[in-house]
Amino acid sequence: MTKLSDEMIALSDEYVLGLMSQGEAELFEEIMARDEEVARRVGALRDRLLPLDLSASPCDLPEDFTARVHSAIAAQGQQEADPAAMAANMTRPPARSFRRVIAAALVGLAVGFGFGGGWLRPMPEPVVVAVLLDAQGVPQAVVEDFGNDTATVRFVTDIDVPADRSLQVWTLPSEDMGPVSLGVLEGTRAARLAFGDLPDPGAEQLYEVTLEPQGGSPTGRPTGPIIGKGLAAPQL
Amino acid sequence: MTKKDDAPGPARAGQEHGAQLSAALGACAAGRSEGIDVILTLEGRQLLGVAMRILGRYDLAEEALQDAMIRVWSKAAQYRAQSGSARGWIYAVLRNRCLNILRDGRRLSVLSPGDLAHVQEARQQIVPPEGWEILSGPGKLSDCLGRLDPQSRHSILLAHVAGFSHGEIAARQNMPLGTIKSLIRRGLVALKECLS
Repeated sequence: MTKLSDEMIALSDEYVLGLMSQGEAELFEEIMARDEEVARRVGALRDRLLPLDLSASPCDLPEDFTARVHSAIAAQGQQEADPAAMAANMTRPPARSFRRVIAAALVGLAVGFGFGGGWLRPMPEPVVVAVLLDAQGVPQAVVEDFGNDTATVRFVTDIDVPADRSLQVWTLPSEDMGPVSLGVLEGTRAARLAFGDLPDPGAEQLYEVTLEPQGGSPTGRPTGPIIGKGLAAPQL
Repeated sequence: MTKKDDAPGPARAGQEHGAQLSAALGACAAGRSEGIDVILTLEGRQLLGVAMRILGRYDLAEEALQDAMIRVWSKAAQYRAQSGSARGWIYAVLRNRCLNILRDGRRLSVLSPGDLAHVQEARQQIVPPEGWEILSGPGKLSDCLGRLDPQSRHSILLAHVAGFSHGEIAARQNMPLGTIKSLIRRGLVALKECLS
């Protein structure tokens, strides 16, 4: 685990420079918490660039600033349960596979945004991105919705699809509309989906992938087990 | 930690300062809030200066620093000395908070159009194409930045110092997004090679 891939090094750099969206940065912090080598690289570049922060002109703090921070901390302490206990209750994906799948998700996002060779073919920017997790919280797929009735789906872990089954991608534009199919997939290759006219995707819109009979759900609604589901994060 | 020896600045004072900050994070992790006092005494004015430079408004900068200190308090236990200095970690927490404010459309939408324009305009001025050396001060970082091609250097500084995204830098430099991404990527590879 000492040799990092070029992609992982590039992601570390982008993280330090502040070029990731909040969602991507949070995913990356999950990797850092589990991988010392990634954390060490991030720390090293951060320290090298610190003179840039130290070149800003200092500003006087308001007199009561320290007191305000203390009361904000005290107020927060009363509101929140012990974070260590909360973390212990959360289902944690196995550490070893976690880096791989999150990294794949991030690299996938980055490729979607045009990095790593994708820049040769300018691509539209997605309006929302959803990382679909299984019941254990392990990322399975990443959906990027471009808001023009096209989306891409990319699987970030091995999924066993029996020969007589298909994967189907769904979204829930609103409770009234109910789940709408974005497309049926044969296998787990990355795919571009084009679908009928839907409202523009919004924050926290649900996306999911289910396992359906070959050719797709016979009822037009999800019937099979959920492979992964996740909420959309708007992209800027 | 032999790498610390070639860190810029007066080494001994820097080490003592670093040890105090590291101990302050330890205090926060142990639930002793005087750690926050130490950090604000040693770094508060500089941290607020960084937030002010990125956000361009005193009220937003203050809010960013307060949020950052709350985050430092609750995350201090996650800090690991082997992954960089306490100082770098604290500044990164602040920078992340500033970037989240900048990129949160809802957060900035409370500003009047005039104020918003002012924030955006101030950010344009942070990184001058000429005289950028002031940003990195004397030392190895400045030398190594000086060796980069000007476009890579400018893009890296726009990202790190002014908090611009890939897309914003591309629009500002009037270049395709992909070109900016590869300029930054190549520039960082060269910069790290020079610094190490």
